[in-house]
Amino acid sequence: MTNGPRIDAWLRQVTAALPGPARARRDIVAELRSGMLDAADAHRRAGLPDAAAAAAATTEFGDPRQVAEAFRPELAARHARCVALTLIATGPPIGLLWAGAAAASHIAIRHAPPWDWAGAPPGSPAALPLAMAAIVVTAWAALLTVAATGRLARWLPGRPGLAPTTAAKSGSAAMAADMTIFALLAS
Amino acid sequence: MRAETLKGHLDGLLLASLDAGPRHGYAIMEALRAGSGGQFDLPTGTIYPALRRLERAGLVHGTWAEDGRRRRVYELTAAGRRALTAERGTWRDFSAAVTALLEPAPRPVTP
Repeated sequence: MTNGPRIDAWLRQVTAALPGPARARRDIVAELRSGMLDAADAHRRAGLPDAAAAAAATTEFGDPRQVAEAFRPELAARHARCVALTLIATGPPIGLLWAGAAAASHIAIRHAPPWDWAGAPPGSPAALPLAMAAIVVTAWAALLTVAATGRLARWLPGRPGLAPTTAAKSGSAAMAADMTIFALLAS
Repeated sequence: MRAETLKGHLDGLLLASLDAGPRHGYAIMEALRAGSGGQFDLPTGTIYPALRRLERAGLVHGTWAEDGRRRRVYELTAAGRRALTAERGTWRDFSAAVTALLEPAPRPVTP
């Protein structure tokens, strides 16, 4: 039982057109391959010779670009979920590190209690609420992304672009928060 | 039957094909084809993305199994079973209404 060059070529075309994380793509292509071998077996049982059975299997599966296109929302959702989970996982520890570093430096200087670490340098009173706002947006967008890409997806309004958009928003908001905190510390 | 005609019902049909027990992608396709008397002949490649979508929604659960060939086998989750029941109810109401409107009224029987 051979894969047949037709089947390999079809799978290569799908692979080339699939976006997203490599591991998710490999999993999808492996599933398509095993399904296509099942299809070729079925056509062989129906009396076709090997090469014709493989060709019939690729015809039966349809246009590889259309199949890849249909996987696009799935891969985009998975990617968005990865980004959001990374943000949720890395945000709090990094925040704690910042706070810890600030507290430690102030304890070392011994002139202010740790919660006063930002001091009152010029410009910072405006920057602090901005950082807070960015952090709130980040947290909500990241949580919404995880919700929209997981099992809660069917309870949310069906907008395929929602997850990638919120992931992009939470990423941008996280960067804005970091920049603001940098500006705060530098000022 | 054209793929477009099927579009809104594919999810329900996929769930229904798993009602009797777990199946892999190609077996689901064969069940759809056989169960519809060959009427549903959509491109086989399109049911795999649909299965992944149902999996992400928590309605089916897919696992790799080895039985001569490595295949991804899907089974209904509890939520999938509930969705199938709901889908069946919706379909009964809908098809009864469409039948009532589309079918010609029975003619009075002439004595």
